[in-house]
Amino acid sequence: MSESQTPHVRPEPLVVQLVIRKLVVAFEAFHAVDGVDVTLCEQEVRFVIGPNGAGKTTLIDAITGMVRPRSGSIEFEGKELVGETEHGVVRAGIGRTFQAASVFDELSVVENVDIAASFRLPFRSLIRRRKGMSDSVAEALESVRLLDHAEAAAGSLSHGQKQWLEIAMVLVQQPRLLLLDEPVAGMTEKERLRTGELITAIAEQGTTVMVVEHDMDFVRRFAHKVTVLHEGKVLTEGAVAEVQQDETVREVYLGRPRDARGAAEVVA
Amino acid sequence: MTLSSRLPSGSAFLVRFALMAVTLLLIAPAVLSDFRLSLLAKFLCFAIVALGIGLAWGQGGMLVLGQGLFFGLGGYCMGMHMKLAEAGSGQLPDFMTWSGVEKLPALWEPFRSAWFAVPAAIVVPMIIAAILGTAVFRQRIRGAYFAILSQALAGAFVIVLIGNQGLTGGTNGLTNFQEFFGLSLGDAHDEQILYYIVAVILLLVFLATRSLVNSRYGRLLIAVRDHEDRVRFLGYDPSRVKLIAYVLAAGMAGLAGALFVPVVGIISPALLGIVPSIEMVIWVALGGRTALAWAATGAVAVNWAKTSISEQFPSSWLYLQGLLFVIVILFLPDGLGGGVAHLKRLAGRISLRGSRPVGAAAATPSEEAG
Repeated sequence: MSESQTPHVRPEPLVVQLVIRKLVVAFEAFHAVDGVDVTLCEQEVRFVIGPNGAGKTTLIDAITGMVRPRSGSIEFEGKELVGETEHGVVRAGIGRTFQAASVFDELSVVENVDIAASFRLPFRSLIRRRKGMSDSVAEALESVRLLDHAEAAAGSLSHGQKQWLEIAMVLVQQPRLLLLDEPVAGMTEKERLRTGELITAIAEQGTTVMVVEHDMDFVRRFAHKVTVLHEGKVLTEGAVAEVQQDETVREVYLGRPRDARGAAEVVA
Repeated sequence: MTLSSRLPSGSAFLVRFALMAVTLLLIAPAVLSDFRLSLLAKFLCFAIVALGIGLAWGQGGMLVLGQGLFFGLGGYCMGMHMKLAEAGSGQLPDFMTWSGVEKLPALWEPFRSAWFAVPAAIVVPMIIAAILGTAVFRQRIRGAYFAILSQALAGAFVIVLIGNQGLTGGTNGLTNFQEFFGLSLGDAHDEQILYYIVAVILLLVFLATRSLVNSRYGRLLIAVRDHEDRVRFLGYDPSRVKLIAYVLAAGMAGLAGALFVPVVGIISPALLGIVPSIEMVIWVALGGRTALAWAATGAVAVNWAKTSISEQFPSSWLYLQGLLFVIVILFLPDGLGGGVAHLKRLAGRISLRGSRPVGAAAATPSEEAG
């Protein structure tokens, strides 16, 4: 679609990284994702928005191998991902977080990040005891400001901290594509701001980021390019300002009472 | 687990391990009668099984209700070799003659060699576990389904053993052993040597398992136990992570079975069916499944209690065992070890993180702001 840019973003790189074609994910008769085409270029930050049930999370689930698409293709760096296992997708270079932060509560913060960091280690290294903290683990913890909590049990962290820990766990794996599912849900204003800055920083270091988000204020502040999903289809795609002016988008958010929550955010 | 990670260094562990080693290797042989020492040797074999269960169940979350299968495989491998060694070359084991078998079955042939039989006692259970585990974990069978399946296999194994009288000795199993690699099994001194062998092997297996549990792999195993689906998105295949622990646990059960045969002098279906398999899990549940040392302690303590109480009140043990199990589930979900750790925590400073609030925190709804 449009190549226009908001002022605070660098020029859009043009190496195509992820190509989703005619993707259909259906649960029996219900088509959660219904013929979606999305193309992501390297180092892009793409926000995916849409009302509840638009198929945003299902799209991420399909990319990461969690649900099997009924038809269509997902090509990442030239490799077909449909049919790949979840861990295979991760090894191909795609990391994700979950809506409900899921970390390993019994393990300490540093252990959580350390096992994430070790996924490419050979078995003989895995059966060794972790000695201290590797630089990359420390760096990941530093970037989400959890270095001071390294030895704490992950279960003792606050909700927002758990979401950051999850981001650190993906970051340390150095994915080339990072999928974030509502990374600021339930966060305080301050935490949202930090998370937004973090996403920008991640992208600047060369990782493509795709963010599923509900919070329109957050989208306005940190989005580069936005894809709007509605009832499993791509409604429109483009720069934030442009999308916001779009009549159909306004209608989707404002027109229907059951989406009052999304509407409130658009108005806010 | 949580306890040892709290400790400042390995020194506290070294002290505890030294105490354990001194108790097993110096104190026990000095204070116990030959009879009691030989009983303890048997319990230490069970403790090796318990270490495996502690690894697979306590750390990996796989409720292995059929360890009797692997214990039995190890036991029969060793028993077959001992039978053949005693019969002498060209001769048949005694029970075969009674069952009218005239030629040594091909299955028995390789067990003439100790070089085959001893490794086989460990490797055969591991191979069987690897085949089972691959099939089961790939299909994402877990929880109660996994438990029932593993239990059914132990049951099926017993049926196979009993149904092949000429090959396995049937219900009687393999018995009447006289010697074990030159040790006379009726001789008190030789039995003491046997005790030392078992005790040292137990300590070594404990150290090896503990170092595995403390490794990155150990953390990963806990991660798989608590959140298997999340681990996939870290780029690991959880079925492989589980398989390793399951196979190792099977190997430990096999090793224990192999040691059990010379110590006790018999291996038979009654020792490894469904009920004995469940009992193995009960030892670990009572001792404390999340700490290896407590799992092993549970095996020794429960069996010690069983023997002493059965000597006084012959028919009451079964009821008491059931009662103990209920009490532990109700009041000490982490077994004796969990109870002791809890008391320590109460006695010391009040910890921020108990075992229950952790789960509660995980259930916090993610979307309170909207």
